[in-house]
Order: sequence, then structure tokens, then C-alpha cells
Amino acid sequence: MIVARIDGMIVSTVCHPSMVGCRSAICQPIDESGRNEGQPILAIDPFSAGLHQRVLISTDGVSTRAHVRDPKSPLRNIIVAVLDDSGKEPT
Amino acid sequence: MRLGYVIGRITLSQQEATYSGCRLLLVQPFDRGQYEGAPVIPLAPGNSLVVYDNLGAGSGNVIGYIEGPEAGMPFPQPSPVDAFNAAIVDDASYSPPSA
Repeated sequence: MIVARIDGMIVSTVCHPSMVGCRSAICQPIDESGRNEGQPILAIDPFSAGLHQRVLISTDGVSTRAHVRDPKSPLRNIIVAVLDDSGKEPT
Repeated sequence: MRLGYVIGRITLSQQEATYSGCRLLLVQPFDRGQYEGAPVIPLAPGNSLVVYDNLGAGSGNVIGYIEGPEAGMPFPQPSPVDAFNAAIVDDASYSPPSA
């Protein structure tokens, strides 16, 4: 799984049927101190996390296919948790 | 899923059964600059790739494509497709923290 920060979202009307109704967030993978790590990726967001919130992304397609209830869906990244921004750095 | 800019199309003469009668797009992946609106340099030094498409994207579209084994999921039988076009992006709002 990847820790990432939500930096935006995309709007797409022409897409795979399993993506209809899903919110697609642009997520920037970050390291433990919050610095960018690699290029942004897109993930399905069932929790409607806010901008710049830290989230946990699962890159395994099984949980995504279960979420969108389509065994033939090509989707892969899905947000499985929203990290607690308690202001304290993770020890 | 990642964003990419469609810069061309590929036509095949000899192909696997899965690829018969399909559309293949030549795609230049976005890096962070292009997310913020920097112009896309077609065939910039980097990794342009070929994406299987059944949504009808054309040159100049921004698409969301998926790589890996999940790209072969939508096909009835296991297929040698490793990049699949899942969405044609109409609008992307991207605002990283300034700090």
C-alpha cells in the first residue's frame, strides 16, 4: 500500500462502466515527512477525502473490483483509509 | 491509473487474436509539470507507451490508463494486454500545497 496526499481530482464522462459514479482523486505518493515521491497517480476515492489529506492507497485490483462490484473492471488503485492528521509526526 | 496525453495511433498488420480489430493509442505519460498545465512535449525523452482503447480517444485527448495485470481484466479470456484506457479526462483540477 502507498501513503499519498490528495492533490486534486478528475472529471471524466466517457469512461469504463465500472468507473461511473466513482470519484477519482489525483494522489501524490509521499514519504514519512511529507515530501513528494514519484509521479502522481489516480485512485478511486470512496471516502471523499478532502484536499491535501493523507490517504492510504491499495494498488491491488481485487479490493477495487469488489468495491465497484464488477469482476471485469480494470481499475486498480483504491483509497482504503484516510490517515489521521493529528499534527503529530508519525514516530 | 495514470494520466497520459494521446500523441498518435498504432495500426497492426500481424497480431494476436485479442488485438484483431482494436484501437491502439500512442500515449505520452504526464509528469508532475504537465499536471500543473505545462505544455506536453510529444515524444519527449521518456516512456511513451501503447494503450489499448475501446472508448474512442483521439490525438490530443488526455486519458487515464491502467497498467499491469488489471489491464487484461475486461477481456473474456486471459489476454496479453498490459495497458488499458479506462477514462477520457474532461477536466482535471490539480492544486498541490504551495509549501
